[in-house]
Amino acid sequence: MKHLQGIVFAVFVMFSSCTIDKTDYEAELNVETTEYIEFKEVTSFNTENYNISIEALNGVFYRGYNEVHLKITNTVSNTSLENSEVTFLPIMTDANGNKSSCPHAYNIIYNADEGYYVGYVVFTSESDSTIDWQLYIDFTENDNTQSVNETIVVEEQTNLNLNMTAFTGNDDEQYFIALVAPQSPSVAQNDLVAGIYKYNKPTNVAGTFPDPTQFSYSTVNNHTLLLDPRMPEPSMGNHSSPNNVDLTQGDDGLYYGVVNYTMTGNWTLNFILNDENGQIIKGTEVSTEFTPGIEGERGELHIDILF
Amino acid sequence: MRKLILIFLFCATVINAQTILKEKDSVKTVLDEVIIIAAKKKKIETDMKMAVSVDEFLASSDNISFIKRGAYAWEPLLNNMSTERSIITIDGMHIFGACTDKMDPVTTYVESNNLSDIDIKSGQEGSLQGATVAGSIDLKRKSTAFKKGENYNGAYQTGFEFNNNQFFNLANASYSSDKLVVDASISHRKAGNYTDGNNDKVNHSQFHKFNASLGVAYKTNDLSSLRVDAIFDKAKDVGFPALPMDLSLSRALITSVAYKQFFEKGIVKVWDSKVYFNAVEHYMDDTTRPENLVHMDMPGWSTTYGLVSKVNLQKDNYSSEIQLNAYNNLSIAEMRMYPQDRSERTMFAYSWPWVTTTYAGISMNNYWDISNASQLSFGGTLGVNYNYSKYVEFNWIFHPGTPQEKTRFLPSLHAGYNLNVGDFDFSVGGGYGHRAPSVSEGYGYYIYNSFDRYDYIGNPDLKNEISYETNASAGFKNEKLSVQAKVNYFYIKNYIIGKILNLGSPMNYQSVGVKGYTSLDYATLFNFSLNGKYSILQNLHWKGTLTYARGLDDNQSNLPFIRPLSYQTSLHYSYKKFRILTSLNGDFKQHNYSPFYGEDETPSYKNWNVSADYTFYIMDYKTVFQIGAENLFNEYYSTYADWGNIPRMGRNIFTSLKINF
Repeated sequence: MKHLQGIVFAVFVMFSSCTIDKTDYEAELNVETTEYIEFKEVTSFNTENYNISIEALNGVFYRGYNEVHLKITNTVSNTSLENSEVTFLPIMTDANGNKSSCPHAYNIIYNADEGYYVGYVVFTSESDSTIDWQLYIDFTENDNTQSVNETIVVEEQTNLNLNMTAFTGNDDEQYFIALVAPQSPSVAQNDLVAGIYKYNKPTNVAGTFPDPTQFSYSTVNNHTLLLDPRMPEPSMGNHSSPNNVDLTQGDDGLYYGVVNYTMTGNWTLNFILNDENGQIIKGTEVSTEFTPGIEGERGELHIDILF
Repeated sequence: MRKLILIFLFCATVINAQTILKEKDSVKTVLDEVIIIAAKKKKIETDMKMAVSVDEFLASSDNISFIKRGAYAWEPLLNNMSTERSIITIDGMHIFGACTDKMDPVTTYVESNNLSDIDIKSGQEGSLQGATVAGSIDLKRKSTAFKKGENYNGAYQTGFEFNNNQFFNLANASYSSDKLVVDASISHRKAGNYTDGNNDKVNHSQFHKFNASLGVAYKTNDLSSLRVDAIFDKAKDVGFPALPMDLSLSRALITSVAYKQFFEKGIVKVWDSKVYFNAVEHYMDDTTRPENLVHMDMPGWSTTYGLVSKVNLQKDNYSSEIQLNAYNNLSIAEMRMYPQDRSERTMFAYSWPWVTTTYAGISMNNYWDISNASQLSFGGTLGVNYNYSKYVEFNWIFHPGTPQEKTRFLPSLHAGYNLNVGDFDFSVGGGYGHRAPSVSEGYGYYIYNSFDRYDYIGNPDLKNEISYETNASAGFKNEKLSVQAKVNYFYIKNYIIGKILNLGSPMNYQSVGVKGYTSLDYATLFNFSLNGKYSILQNLHWKGTLTYARGLDDNQSNLPFIRPLSYQTSLHYSYKKFRILTSLNGDFKQHNYSPFYGEDETPSYKNWNVSADYTFYIMDYKTVFQIGAENLFNEYYSTYADWGNIPRMGRNIFTSLKINF
């Protein structure tokens, strides 16, 4: 009987040894992406009797879309400033001293429920030795207007699902598409959210810097963003997915659609931006051919993602 | 893994308990007799070859045909229907393969030397084991009867097959006493690539298999016994020439604990219950195929817990079996593709997104001997099938919003009537039954099928497949001649098959498109077989079989994998200690092929086989030596069901030696 137990034990050892581990799917989805849901303070500075605190996801400004929360506190009365007219202007200075901006909400609105001002900014490049970003913030309390500016740091966005692209449309206007969600996609139907913005060319001569009319951006309204997601990896042969939904504008101004990712890895979101009349502003259709061994051709307007 | 350990601890405890109890002795009882009557002593060998694989043995049955992707792991087709439509069990235990490509039908996890018999039931007659359309194949394990005294038995068999240099060793031994029975077997087969009829090597057709089994039965009292069984099977380095990848490792552990109670009085005769657990792991990859564009891993796991409990009733000329089947299976299959630049991110998806299947059903078969010449049988099943897809978001990609859980009711009914008139016997029968879609049909995700080169997508919302069948047979038998003709006809509503989807694009680079499992309105299947046996002389026998089948979809076009007209004829001559056997088998040209489902016309082929064996004694041990040749004329051929028209084996000379102890 003893050897019988021995056999059972041996079988058990054989069976339990060198098994391939099952993939931890949740961990697999977070290899390349991290989902940030918490707003943390990015910067805080004082001007006269006020303290301004700016929050963004994960406490960092990234290249691409950033929702910003602003709190202004009167340090004398120790009360927070509510319902003030607050303006928010990001300015980038390049190596040659040229100043430009990026899509942003200029007038930012107070959210009484949350107790902060809500805006957004789509940084078009990260800070480096030649590129400086500054925020110009104006606000008014009791007819007393305060103007402050503060240098900030814009970091590289390593999560490609929050990637962005800037381009000149066929109408010669300058457009920006920035991905807002999903931060950490799954092999699933994902609700795809993007912001689409446009640079408003100034019509008047520049006034005193910073003249907001020279740095004006607005949300593009009632356009449609046609979507064709594909895997560019040569071995995937221009693989695509079914049941995707083109992006249309929601009540909050952002554009909503559905993207299906059939597996993890590199994907290219090929877009065609149509205006309200269906005229193509930018983008070309891509081949739907299955071409194993050949890297998938990207359309004229696209954003690469990875998860 | 923890559950596995628990099972093992449990097994160990049971074995321990038996050691203690063994000391006691008891008188001879009814149990022995009943078990002896129950223990069938059919040998797993064909007329042709005594060292067959389980697949080869099944192939000798006339309602079984095979889909072959190489030399190993053939998928048995029962009544020309694939394994989704049939139930394959081992002693009533449900086991599910862990390979999305069906490279591990249950039959691969056993070996001929741990089986005593294979019980094939056609159509709804097989519903005792659960919901089925095609029928059931129950692989019966060897189980030695309790016997007075100390009895040791065993056999050792070794052999070599020259075509693919297959060397095999099979050994089994049993011990039986009044109280305790131990059955054990161990086997090993290793084969290289085979050569086809043109003497070309078929690359990636090697295999390497190890199998061991152990069964211990203990008589708990005069009328009851407890039995613990385990089978361990391991296959390594198995090539599939028709697939773009091979099996690096597969392992299965199949365990059960059974309790059997006999009753001396009353209508209930036997109550046999078993709890079981089996775990299968199957790792396919293409590291052996450097020519592949994409390196890919496809591991799969399948774990099943179950209970089967059966009661046999008998009163006068009426007998009945009532069986409860319950099981829970978790099937997981992954695919991971590696980009050409290996530093880049790998691409991952589930081909089975953690799909749970829970089934519980009660089945009943009744036999009523109306007279000495006629018998009526009838029965039915009521089952509940529940599926749950953990990562249902995979299924939502093609079927947005489909529910994560699905419950189905699976009823079935059947009846048959047998009549003997002199040397003639006749039977007619009919059946009705539902089956639930398989895991792949319901929840599969980009499962590459290298036969039609499509990626398959499951549909969780598929309707139950509903089968209506009729069957009939007529036979004649006297001392010299026996002839039997059998027909059956299936009308299958909501027949599940893959159809091209105009959605999505292929994921596997060899693929040409995406197919989704869909229900046809209906499909029909017709099977016919004719068997004959004739004793020409006392020691010269002839046997012949002819089979024909036809399968049509709702557009009256052909279904795939329907065997063309086929035949088998053999002569068997014995003289003293010699036996000589020669057989010819083949398929006619496949006229009714289905280009729509990826088939091409397969030409006819014939195979001529011969074998001779000689029985002698080494000391007191009966020993048989056999030598033979399959495909004697080295014909180059492939059959209708060979994936990618991979050529079958050319001339194969086999030798085998078996010693019985």
